[in-house]
Amino acid sequence: MDTEATRSLLPLLAFLLPMAGAVIAVPLQRASDQVRNLVLAAIAATVAVIAIVLGAGVASGSVYELFILQLTPQIWMYLRVDAMGALFGMTAAVLWTLALVYSWGYMHGEHRLGRYYSFFILCLAWTMGVAYAGNLLTFLIFYELFSILTYPLVVHEETPEAMAAGTKYIIYILVGGTLVLLAIVLTFFAAGDQTLTAGGILSAEIGSGRLLAIFWCFLIGFGVKAALVPLHGWVPDAHPAAPAPFSAVLSGVMVAAGSFGIMRVMFYVFGADLLGYLGVMRYLTWIAGFTVLFAAVLAVNQDNLKRRLAYSTISQMAYVVLGVSLLGTEATIGALVHITNHAFMKGALFLCAGLFIRRLGAARVSQLDGAAKRMPVTAAGFAIASLAMIGTPPLSGFVSKWYLGIGMLETGNPWLLAVLLGGALMAAVYLLPIVYRMYFREPVLTPEDKATAEGREAPGAMLAPLVVATILTFVLGLGASLPGMPVALARMAAESFFH
Amino acid sequence: MEVTDARVVLAPAISLICAGLVFAAAEHTFWRRFLSLSAALAKLVIVMSMLPGSLRGIVYTFDLVEFTPGVGLAFRADALGMFFSVVSSTLWLITTIYAIGYMEQEPNRRRFFGFFALCVSTTVGVAFAENLLTLFLFYETLTICTYPLVIHEETPEAMKAGRKYLAYTLTGGAFVLLGSIVTYQMAGTMTLSQPGILSLESGRGALTLLFVCLIAGFGVKAAIMPLHGWLPSAMVAPTPVSALLHAVAVVKVGAFGVLRTIYNVFGVGLLKELGVCDWLAGLAAFTIIVASVIAVFQDNFKRRLAFSTVSQLSYIVLGASLLTPLAATAAIVHIANQAFAKITMFFVAGSIQRTTGKTSIHELAGIGYRMPYTMGAFTVAALSFIGVPLFAGFVTKWYLSLGAMESGQWWYVIVMLASALLNAAYWMPVIYTAFFRGSHDAVEVHEAHWTMLGPALLCAGYVLMLGMTVSVPGMPFALAQAAVHFVFGM
Repeated sequence: MDTEATRSLLPLLAFLLPMAGAVIAVPLQRASDQVRNLVLAAIAATVAVIAIVLGAGVASGSVYELFILQLTPQIWMYLRVDAMGALFGMTAAVLWTLALVYSWGYMHGEHRLGRYYSFFILCLAWTMGVAYAGNLLTFLIFYELFSILTYPLVVHEETPEAMAAGTKYIIYILVGGTLVLLAIVLTFFAAGDQTLTAGGILSAEIGSGRLLAIFWCFLIGFGVKAALVPLHGWVPDAHPAAPAPFSAVLSGVMVAAGSFGIMRVMFYVFGADLLGYLGVMRYLTWIAGFTVLFAAVLAVNQDNLKRRLAYSTISQMAYVVLGVSLLGTEATIGALVHITNHAFMKGALFLCAGLFIRRLGAARVSQLDGAAKRMPVTAAGFAIASLAMIGTPPLSGFVSKWYLGIGMLETGNPWLLAVLLGGALMAAVYLLPIVYRMYFREPVLTPEDKATAEGREAPGAMLAPLVVATILTFVLGLGASLPGMPVALARMAAESFFH
Repeated sequence: MEVTDARVVLAPAISLICAGLVFAAAEHTFWRRFLSLSAALAKLVIVMSMLPGSLRGIVYTFDLVEFTPGVGLAFRADALGMFFSVVSSTLWLITTIYAIGYMEQEPNRRRFFGFFALCVSTTVGVAFAENLLTLFLFYETLTICTYPLVIHEETPEAMKAGRKYLAYTLTGGAFVLLGSIVTYQMAGTMTLSQPGILSLESGRGALTLLFVCLIAGFGVKAAIMPLHGWLPSAMVAPTPVSALLHAVAVVKVGAFGVLRTIYNVFGVGLLKELGVCDWLAGLAAFTIIVASVIAVFQDNFKRRLAFSTVSQLSYIVLGASLLTPLAATAAIVHIANQAFAKITMFFVAGSIQRTTGKTSIHELAGIGYRMPYTMGAFTVAALSFIGVPLFAGFVTKWYLSLGAMESGQWWYVIVMLASALLNAAYWMPVIYTAFFRGSHDAVEVHEAHWTMLGPALLCAGYVLMLGMTVSVPGMPFALAQAAVHFVFGM
């Protein structure tokens, strides 16, 4: 990028603030719940504001950077906010704030809350670091910390299922992280430490054998996080095991971090030209296309709601990889925007799933008959987010799929439209029956349920994040073409990749 | 620039004087504590006072006695020696504090603290040895001074471990002596001040034999498989002994000897010609993996630590035998990285044993809520061994991987990464047991005494500092680099 970078402390603040929050979460926990809630929410909201300010700055053409720590004589820890990072950072910070507010109600009365809140806010710090990392080693540092230190959140409930899911999670993630490290060592050896800039740092002179080794190590490493079939095994177990607010960020941001990593590697390490020359992209297209359909088919038969949503995440996040693998501007815009859109749609769905568990005791789809009568707002949120996921205009999901579709045609792959539409159709098959059950079936009420009447709607504090996420699916859909919206940032990023 | 300076002798001597006074002070607790602490502090100050000069490139030397022309006791604080002595004297001070807390109820404290000081004296002697003879002398003295510490508890098991320890290390010492004599015969000098004193003229066969002889000698203490047998047995010693001697002093002296052999006796150029280092690297890689696999199956906390040490020490040997500047950097900085992380773990194991009486890993369910700070320190050390970025172990892993690439032997990168995963396989379950097992009820916090908790936290802090920045005060990366530049003539 030719733009002169501005030095700014804001990116540093974006991860130092949550780190400070993590440190004070435990003592605050002892003081009072309310103080803790307010302080942590204030921190998360501040981070969201910082992320939006940085996003606005980037949209108006600035690039921010900051050197933090000298790790070795050759390597600095270095932050750099560009269009792609700014977009991911905004998405993460806003979704995190919503999930944190939702946690107040959801986690009330749970055990070891100090640990929960501390790690919850800490993971925001690492995620912001992933978004703003300016070189590969900085990226690796945040990526690894964020992968490993989410373990306490995955196993928070400490049930045998949660512990088993946690063990599976940590094994997948450690092996994936190891491959990423291997790839980074190979890259560093081939090209030295360089700032991540669009266009890539590797060159064809390195030899295609070594380049292919680097590419596949990166791809498999990040593919574990991005849940590409067959590396997706941890996702369907970790989501139902984790507390609902964490499932929301797990699906919305953490899986996306894997896709984000794949994009960083493709456009900032290799560069579109080199990838075209290597000719590996068609394999990636096949893997991603298969993942879209395969996971969607599996989702249909899941009775556990969070498990069904987890398979949906696998399917939807593969759209992102599918989009970038086409190496076209429009498809890349679609992929980038889909990360943001998916975060809020899937976030909303998981928040609903949590409410059903807490208010109705219903973790399974078959228990949701007539839920709309008892929890009208939640059910409406679920229905809207489902429609967005399927890709109904004018909701946000439509926008990203539109760009993806245009991109497929632009790059001369019309047959991929079948995958795109097939995935959307399958989304309807696995999501709409739930909506149908909620609205058109009579609730099966036990005598105690009848005693407490039909109203089981959640308290306002838990509904508010859901409502905001639902509104965002409208805003991101209707306002997609406005300046400063994700599409504009994504276009900035995508255009820098292909020129 | 070389400067004659008595501080090079004073640094080892001060512990020697301290040992004498401790023996003289009989069972007088106050004086023993006072002497131990002030000697440790004085030594740290002396070593640190040489650091600024050393960083500017000044080498301090001192010739003590000359037995026959060219053969004598001489001291020389070059970059590599300074690095090692900075690590060991920092840790001596911290471990002394810990030992005072830990040994509170034990008998024979005079013997313990006396020999403890002697061991540190000899360790710094090894670090500052100017020639192979001086090195050998301190190397052997260290073996003998450690024996009373290993058998401190005087149980039949301890006595047996002590015999095994002596059998292994004295045999190793004999090889070192043999190697030193042959070196003198071949090169006409035993100095360690050059980047290699031998030349191909001595004949390939003879040189190879000499290399095997010296490496076998030092390899006993560096616990290269199959010479590692004494180390797990010696874990019967009191924890501060295990901590300082079996994570830092004794084993590091072995590793340091290997570094001296490779860099200062043979020299990188000659070893590349000979090709023997390929075999050593293979052996080190074998040790790294096999010891880690064994560690996975140990339930006794200290035994798991012991096999982890065996594995980690071979990082140093592997780094040295790859013969590239980046790998050498990894080998040297790992002296510090492994020392601080491992000593943290030993402190934790000892604190848990003293506070709760538990020595097996499966008994530790929920201990993270009883002793949160102690287990927090442990977690930092464990993440360092796994090689999580921002922790000290990552720096080693990173440089060693790059060094392996640099030498064209990319498969050692795979060894490093596999070892990192194995480290995760045996340290993660400990964290898991401590924090995620056991009852959910609130447990009362019951930490170890501050003399034991403080050192553990301090060392964990060092692990973080070493991992996050190259400019830790008093632990300079620059020294390691200076040593590498000297060795590779850069």
